[in-house]
Amino acid sequence: MMEFVRVASISEIPANSCREFAVEKRRILICAWQGRYYALSPMCPHQGNSLDGASVWDGLLDCPWHHFQFDVRTGENRYPKCVYPSDRIDLAYGVRPLRTYALEVRGNDVYVDLSEPRGGNAA
Amino acid sequence: MAKVAIAVVEQAGVDVKALVDKLVRAAGAEFTTYYYYTILRANAIGLEGEGLKEIIEDARLEDRNHFEALTPRIYELGGELPRDIRGMADVAACPDAYLPAPSDGKPPTVQSLLEVLVEAERCAIRVYTEICNMTCGKDHRTYELALAILNEEIEHEAWFSEFLGEKPSGHFRRGTPGESPYVSRFLNVPTSHR
Repeated sequence: MMEFVRVASISEIPANSCREFAVEKRRILICAWQGRYYALSPMCPHQGNSLDGASVWDGLLDCPWHHFQFDVRTGENRYPKCVYPSDRIDLAYGVRPLRTYALEVRGNDVYVDLSEPRGGNAA
Repeated sequence: MAKVAIAVVEQAGVDVKALVDKLVRAAGAEFTTYYYYTILRANAIGLEGEGLKEIIEDARLEDRNHFEALTPRIYELGGELPRDIRGMADVAACPDAYLPAPSDGKPPTVQSLLEVLVEAERCAIRVYTEICNMTCGKDHRTYELALAILNEEIEHEAWFSEFLGEKPSGHFRRGTPGESPYVSRFLNVPTSHR
């Protein structure tokens, strides 16, 4: 059962960027790109740094720390997973996908269903 | 540390601590890239690899120049490089540019090398675009330096992109290996004086 909670006002999330918010004792990342909003887990799986302030370039969330890139729509890592050597399975941990959450814009506010994250295993 | 130089940058509205952090991360990325490009160059073999070797070498040497040019600015702004080389690698602004895995027991393909190289350059372009955006009209010295590096990173991307068959780069080649046409004026010993 979906349980949407208000997370932020859309005015708090500049275009083509991401902001981290606290809601119900949890952290959630909201990204704005091309007039749409996306909710994801807020920590980069690479070193556990916050993705707050990340830019979005061409649909890819760009981690401000080491420029790991994730698809804002699916949470999948796009870089550097695409160039990591296939024989280095130890590197896979850092390029896990971000979790994604269902999001709705109601009026000027962003609501997220925190109950059922999709994909990923990053906190 | 340059006290007045820091003060004027702060007064212009730049968060100097955040800027220094970005510069250290950028320097870390240049240093690690220099290392990884050394391995990639060594593995650019065969008929195709030999053609690629020259531009890997230019990019490799110019990335080292970028590290050299960034370092004085970090200290001028009151920052410092990590005292631990492992720490330096950990904070690097871009992912490590690993040598691709062997393909069917053979050395990595030139295509796979190029993909690593072009993505590393694209990351660098994002890094210096951020620094330019942060300092434009505020910290003239850092801006000029970051812009000079950005110019070279853009050329590197275009070279590798051309080899991948994406589009012509519009420019080739350096007069001498690692010439750094934009950054050399920031080096204590310009490449033309060596």
